[in-house]
Amino acid sequence: MKRISLFTICFAIFIACWVFLRFVVGGVISVPIPSSVISMYMGLVLIAILVHVSVEDTRFREFLRPIHETLVGENRRVRRIVLAVLIPLLMLGYTYSNLAQKANPPGDPRDAHPSPPLELTYKDEVIGSMQDVENPYRHYEKDDPEKFKSHVENGRRVYYQNCFYCHGDHLDGKGHFADALNPLPANFQDPGIIPNFQESFFFWRISKGGPGLPASGTPWNSAMPIWEDHLTKEEIWDVILFLSDYTGYPYRTFGEGH
Amino acid sequence: MKTKMLTCLTLLLACGFGLFVFADSHEKEEDMNKLVFPKAYKTTAVSNGGKISGVVKFDGEVPEMKKLEITKDKAVCGVTDKFDEALVVGEGNVLKNTIVYLMDISQGKDFDKEAKPELDQKNCRFNPHVQLIPVGTALTVLNNDKATHNVHIFGTSKNNTSVNKQQTKNRKKMRLTGAKGAEGPVEVKCDIHGWMKAWVAYVPHPYFAVTNEKGEFTLEDVPPGDYKLGYWHEACGTNNKEPVKVTVAAGGEVKQDFTLKLKEAK
Amino acid sequence: MRSKNVVYLILILGLLSVYNLIFAQDAPEVSEKGKEVYEESCAHCHGTEGRGDGSAAENLLPQPRDFTRGLYKIRSTESGQLPTDQDLFDIITEGMPGSSMPGWETSLKADERWEVVAYIKTFYDGFKESETPPRQISLEGKIPYSEESIEIGKGLYTQFACFECHGQVGRGDGTSAPTLQDEWGFQSWPANLAQGWNFRGGNDIDDIYKRFIGGIAGSAMPMFEDPAFGLTIEQSIRYNELDNKVEMTEAEEEEYNQLDEKMGNAFEILDLMAEGSADEEQKQSYATAMKAFYEKSWHLANYVKSLSSEKRPEPAIGKNVLRSQYTEDDLPQIMDAAWDTLDSSYFPLVGQIIIEPRQFNPTIDSVNAKSFYNDTEVAFLFTWDDRTNNTEVKENEDTGKTFEDAIAIQFPVKIPKSPTAEKPYFLWGGRKAVYLWEWKASAADKITELTAKGINNAEEQEIQGDLQVEGKYTDGQYNLWIKRALKTDDKKDLQLEPGVFVPIAFSAWDGANGDVGTKRVISSWYSFVLEPVPSSRRFIYPPLVALLSFGLLVGLREFVRQRNT
Repeated sequence: MKRISLFTICFAIFIACWVFLRFVVGGVISVPIPSSVISMYMGLVLIAILVHVSVEDTRFREFLRPIHETLVGENRRVRRIVLAVLIPLLMLGYTYSNLAQKANPPGDPRDAHPSPPLELTYKDEVIGSMQDVENPYRHYEKDDPEKFKSHVENGRRVYYQNCFYCHGDHLDGKGHFADALNPLPANFQDPGIIPNFQESFFFWRISKGGPGLPASGTPWNSAMPIWEDHLTKEEIWDVILFLSDYTGYPYRTFGEGH
Repeated sequence: MKTKMLTCLTLLLACGFGLFVFADSHEKEEDMNKLVFPKAYKTTAVSNGGKISGVVKFDGEVPEMKKLEITKDKAVCGVTDKFDEALVVGEGNVLKNTIVYLMDISQGKDFDKEAKPELDQKNCRFNPHVQLIPVGTALTVLNNDKATHNVHIFGTSKNNTSVNKQQTKNRKKMRLTGAKGAEGPVEVKCDIHGWMKAWVAYVPHPYFAVTNEKGEFTLEDVPPGDYKLGYWHEACGTNNKEPVKVTVAAGGEVKQDFTLKLKEAK
Repeated sequence: MRSKNVVYLILILGLLSVYNLIFAQDAPEVSEKGKEVYEESCAHCHGTEGRGDGSAAENLLPQPRDFTRGLYKIRSTESGQLPTDQDLFDIITEGMPGSSMPGWETSLKADERWEVVAYIKTFYDGFKESETPPRQISLEGKIPYSEESIEIGKGLYTQFACFECHGQVGRGDGTSAPTLQDEWGFQSWPANLAQGWNFRGGNDIDDIYKRFIGGIAGSAMPMFEDPAFGLTIEQSIRYNELDNKVEMTEAEEEEYNQLDEKMGNAFEILDLMAEGSADEEQKQSYATAMKAFYEKSWHLANYVKSLSSEKRPEPAIGKNVLRSQYTEDDLPQIMDAAWDTLDSSYFPLVGQIIIEPRQFNPTIDSVNAKSFYNDTEVAFLFTWDDRTNNTEVKENEDTGKTFEDAIAIQFPVKIPKSPTAEKPYFLWGGRKAVYLWEWKASAADKITELTAKGINNAEEQEIQGDLQVEGKYTDGQYNLWIKRALKTDDKKDLQLEPGVFVPIAFSAWDGANGDVGTKRVISSWYSFVLEPVPSSRRFIYPPLVALLSFGLLVGLREFVRQRNT
């Protein structure tokens, strides 16, 4: 039985690493890795292989043997010619496709959840500190369920008269206006949205809208209206109650470890 | 004694409450614009019946009839001027196209079986503007135009009887069976020529009349008795809240004129 | 005495509850669940009593369905029939594209959707009263989708008078379009057949066929009837041909009259059938005529299908961005065939609901764009569908006030240096200004350059005349051609350079839909680039690299060989 050469093994390991990164991690596990990161990893793999084979003189010679044979061996003529044609052709194709590729527009790096200001305001009126302000109607949930329900119902009305065009009937950010927006409207059904923020944060985002974002949130792209121009304070608090009531997700409350 | 009274009172109260619930869910504003039909109607031979006649007049400033804008098919539709016929007032303030009828008649003569209600479409205008159709009788729609129309008879809130059929220039005559029960008046429209509008009322008994150019109406062969006389007009509404009470004597004639005002704008 | 009163009070209550019991037994069996789901998910639009008057209804067009009338637009049943339970279930599941009714497949379980079907049926007594199940439209005799069928369908499109509302090429721009209303008196625009993704009942050929045969109840869309009933397809085509002739020969006249008579007879039989008084022979010829009618309808459905792409095009993001194509020649004019060589970039538009007055019910779906540039100039072709050509402000008692159609193309005044650098606010700028080209249908050969720092804060630039423009309206579509030098002397203008991505956004106004001022449709920021001329290096470098690698290989071999010896 012919022994598999060290070169073949190293080559196979190299290919296997690439396949793993590109298809297993990127495809099966579906965490796509940017090509630049893959190149970096492959570079490391290559260095590791080279270090491994060049540690011992004999091993290095063993590693080089097939290359050596291919280059000058009498009985490797066919392989030599094939490689001499194939390698330049591959290089040709690679350079051409790199040069002919169209550039894509620059991405819009955007902080989806930028940090809020320290103070919560409605129009010019200061409500309190962002961390401390609570929804003034939240306590009805325990104290007066009937009254709480009427606030939620009012929130529902506000939502379907104003918000559902973009954020959708199902609160999933897929309203009938959503298709045309970039960035897309927030999806309240996403478990990473409501539970991660205080009600005061939502009040800030609703009342000040897109233009109220700090620069890192790319305020110039957001189609979120400045709702304090259209809604009363109570309506905003009510719609906040509705969002959590409909989706079943509780807001983050202060004291749960910030 | 007292026990009986209380029982009666209880029953009365219960009935009253029931009626209240019933009436509340049914007395809708739109019903005020509909005709009132008797619960049942029986045909019998009428001899020596009475007659009710009169003139309907319009009270108020008569607006100038709005000329309709002919937006398409001008070669066919534009040959005659057309006006909004919602309010047609003749000399002496007489009002055309008012339906006058008996609200609560429960028996009387049969329909004139010979009559075939027709709705004509000529030069893109419906004629007549208001007509009565005996329940169960087909309406013959004529197309005398070299144009495609669509005959859209609206449904009412209670019945899924909306009919909308295309009538191309090839089809000169089309019979349409509309509502199976008494209803109306309902609007008839040609959507292709948006200005074409008319009204049809599916009626369960023949004691209905539409006023002519002189505002006149006549109800004949009315069996003697007490009746409520109602009217309907496209622009002036109904008197469903306060029908006029008339008493018809055998072979007698009752004169009853009406003076209508425009419906209050909502 | 007092105790007796109590007894009577109990009696009254008892009677009332008996009354309620009887009353309740009248209603079909509906689970509490259906009501619960309905009130949680449907009532805000359709109203708790199913009247289509929920709190959100006011701003919606098409209006939410009023369930109390039993009129359903999208059915698999014949005209005048109620929908099947499956129809209602399907609408709930899939929603109604192009309206605000979403699909509920992901948010309601199938059994919940069935419960809702049962519940909404209680709003209309007719469901309870009808003894026979609704007659369904048969899909038998379906004709496969093919070029020939589409061609036949195209001819029938005219004959069936579809163009009256849907326009000559189907963009919903027929002469009857502006006056259409539904039975509730709301404006009801005919479908733009080139935008199949907005068909309320779906754009499968079967769906389209069902709309022909069953009509769209409550809307202006009638139940179709064969205008040449009783004639075969060949005869219909011939009849139409003859009908359109100014003068006919004697033989033709005779042929025409024969066909006319055949048709007349068939119509006669149709009426007899409706009255139920046709004899066997008449029934036979009715069946033959109906078969031909169904055949024609399938051809028509195939034609309508062919007018639109299957799905809404991908928006101009990523690879689809608007890339201006370099040409060495003069730039093409508005109707030049050269434009057909380019793919267009699709920019979806939505109602502006940020600043009052707002547009909740937009009628313009999107704008498409193409562009060419050469060494000195750039030309754009913008295309968008609009059912009406409104060139002036008009007061109309029936359809309300209409305004003029317009579009504005927006760029930043200065291109942001990096992706993170501040851009102007996408809605006509703010702190940073935008540069706008505003065109109005009233002056097709005029375009105004504006600088804006807010939707209500736009100013005409002092220096005008940098742009050449030509606008055309045909068959429900605007084509707007604009040409400008890459560089201008005006400091307030955007200066263009190949290879630099430029933010671009749009505003458009459909005057017939009441669009004016802030009431309009808008887009987010997209990108546009003068696509750099693919450098000629792409023909030089690769062979060089190939040659070099070959040389390296040869060199390596020589090196090894020499070392060996």
